[in-house]
Amino acid sequence: MGKGGIAQENQGEENMAAWLLGVNNLKIQPFKLPSLGAHDVRVRIKAVGICGSDVHYYKHMSCGDYHVKEPMVIGHECAGIIEEVGSEVKSLLPGDRVALEPGIGCWHCNPCKEGRYNLCHDMKFFATPPIHGSLADQIVHPASLCFKLPDNLTLEEGAMCEPLSVGVYACRRANVSPETTVLILGAGPIGLVTMLAARAFGAPKVVVVDVDDHRLSVAKELGAAEVVKVSSDTQAVDKEVEEIKKAMGGPVDVTVDCCGMSKTVSTALAATVSGGKVCVVGMAHCQMTVPLTPAAAREVDLVGVFRYRNTWPLCIEFLSSGKIDVKPLITHRFGFTQKEVEEAFETSARGSNAIKVMFNL
Amino acid sequence: MSHGGEEGKDEEGEEENRAAWLVGVKTLRIQPYNLPPLGPHDVKVRMKAVGICGSDVHHFKHMRCANFIVKKPMVIGHECAGIVEEIGSEVKSLQIGDRVALEPGISCKQCQLCKDGRYNLCRQMKFFGSPPTNGALANLVVHPENLCFKLPDNVSLEEGAMCEPLSVGVHACRRAKVSPQTRVLIIGAGPIGLVTMLTARAFGAPKVVIVDIDDRRLSFAKALGADETIQVSTDIQDVGEEVVKIQNAMDSSVDLSFDCVGFSKSMSVALNATRAGGKVCLVGLGQSEMTLPLTPAAARELDIIGIFRYRNTWPLCIEFLRSGKIDVKPLITHRFEFTQDQVEEAFETSARGGNAIKVMFNL
Repeated sequence: MGKGGIAQENQGEENMAAWLLGVNNLKIQPFKLPSLGAHDVRVRIKAVGICGSDVHYYKHMSCGDYHVKEPMVIGHECAGIIEEVGSEVKSLLPGDRVALEPGIGCWHCNPCKEGRYNLCHDMKFFATPPIHGSLADQIVHPASLCFKLPDNLTLEEGAMCEPLSVGVYACRRANVSPETTVLILGAGPIGLVTMLAARAFGAPKVVVVDVDDHRLSVAKELGAAEVVKVSSDTQAVDKEVEEIKKAMGGPVDVTVDCCGMSKTVSTALAATVSGGKVCVVGMAHCQMTVPLTPAAAREVDLVGVFRYRNTWPLCIEFLSSGKIDVKPLITHRFGFTQKEVEEAFETSARGSNAIKVMFNL
Repeated sequence: MSHGGEEGKDEEGEEENRAAWLVGVKTLRIQPYNLPPLGPHDVKVRMKAVGICGSDVHHFKHMRCANFIVKKPMVIGHECAGIVEEIGSEVKSLQIGDRVALEPGISCKQCQLCKDGRYNLCRQMKFFGSPPTNGALANLVVHPENLCFKLPDNVSLEEGAMCEPLSVGVHACRRAKVSPQTRVLIIGAGPIGLVTMLTARAFGAPKVVIVDIDDRRLSFAKALGADETIQVSTDIQDVGEEVVKIQNAMDSSVDLSFDCVGFSKSMSVALNATRAGGKVCLVGLGQSEMTLPLTPAAARELDIIGIFRYRNTWPLCIEFLRSGKIDVKPLITHRFEFTQDQVEEAFETSARGGNAIKVMFNL
């Protein structure tokens, strides 16, 4: 039940994928699919978004502790149409439009058994080496990780369920509710989906901060009550915390740091009300210098987040009901050709007015 | 309903109340202490047992502790128990002669935090021995009835005073949700690490590993029930090696770590040693700014839980002591009386650390 390998003919069509071969080196090449297991489905991929982690692998051949040691298919934010179902699959039919949850847990280890499968010791996740990703014509995936899309949702919205899941899960872990004001540090794709999720969870007021004016105006359009421009200067924390508190006009109950560096965590710890929560989603830096003790002595808890679990049904519900609209986040679109794949990654890497870059296959 | 005033005169026909005043760096003087009038919901308590806390020592040595600065003479001490001597007009739950343990902090009861039940975080908190509120190392204090907890016959006044440090352990174990399923690492075998260990056991923790730099404190911890003890260093380079030793000693994963020290190194050990999805509880307030591997910890969904003092812990502490589930008596290693010489000696002893765990005054 692996995720494919070298070239092979498959029903007359050669399956192609975008392979990461080296730094800044992506090539569309044949991608052999594994055989269809009893509980698997084969999906024709129609929409794939690019994530910051995909860009990081593209630029560095590594991301955190993960290193790309051999060619790997890139991409994990995806949706498509079922082409074939395995012999035991009951919930899906060929022709069904589905959004895919990327990570296959082992279901044996303690975290899996406890329901925290995102922490599985043996997780196989699209485009986290050595597991191949999904920027391909077709892939094979467990049926239980494919979620049917209602008629009123597009396949692009289906692909957006993946980044949206990060925001939804952070809001769950931080207990965002109609009683919690929310501060979000960073107005990139993750900050924005977190803001949309926070509103969907009922947060009465959301303040978003960023260094980039354009991203702040997008945040404002999408529902931020207030936006505050900040700097990357660590000396400015105290001043910025004052501005943030003024913008919130009351206590900051939950802060979600969607950047993840010393300055942002320090800002989060100082800005959050006593007894509140800081959720660290962004993973920019590994080692951070932060004033932890004064925050701990106000019982501000730091809540860690890794990817998500059990979020697709809720994401689909939020999108289908209109409680969340992710379509404005898709700013750039590309087709699945060699040239466009390269251009797409460069565009995503540029940031700024490029929020979510989407492939249409 | 405050905590007394400056050097006062004799109250007519009554004994002159005296207290240990912090008047400067390392300068404690036993001097008169003028009590406020007794409010309808107050009681007057004759102090019998007062313990010394690390924060008292810090005030003694530095005339400050974190953001609390001693700007004028202040009575020291907050871990206390005594006998009720007089009760206010509306007091119903206590009588003269009752032996009581005192919870030090009077909260405002009006702010949102108080109303949410998190009164320990009240910004208007008046806490014994936290400037500018006078403390309890005195012959007599006046205190609200509802912060005085009656001691059962089989719990001594010294044990009553121990309810205060024990409360820190109880509040930490509650916030961190210690249960029969949590295997616990405790960093630091000082008084707070030890009460945290005793409490973790009382909450059912199946295994406790405790670490410290001082091997005397480790053997003391072993005698009090630690499953395993490990001697560690203050050198940040040793984190990797120490984490391996800790995980071997636990023989299974570390579900929960209590950092009862509070420095970059101890937190780094805690963050690295605790399993994915576990919790690290920061109890010790050693260092304000720390350099930590936060992202790897966050990416393993470790939660870092802060602790400030305690709330609603006295009844549980008293029950633990009454039932024998917790025995704090071995922690009281040194005893002193309430005289000028002995007050000075007591503080120097407590400041020394080492084999001095809890220094107790008997008045």
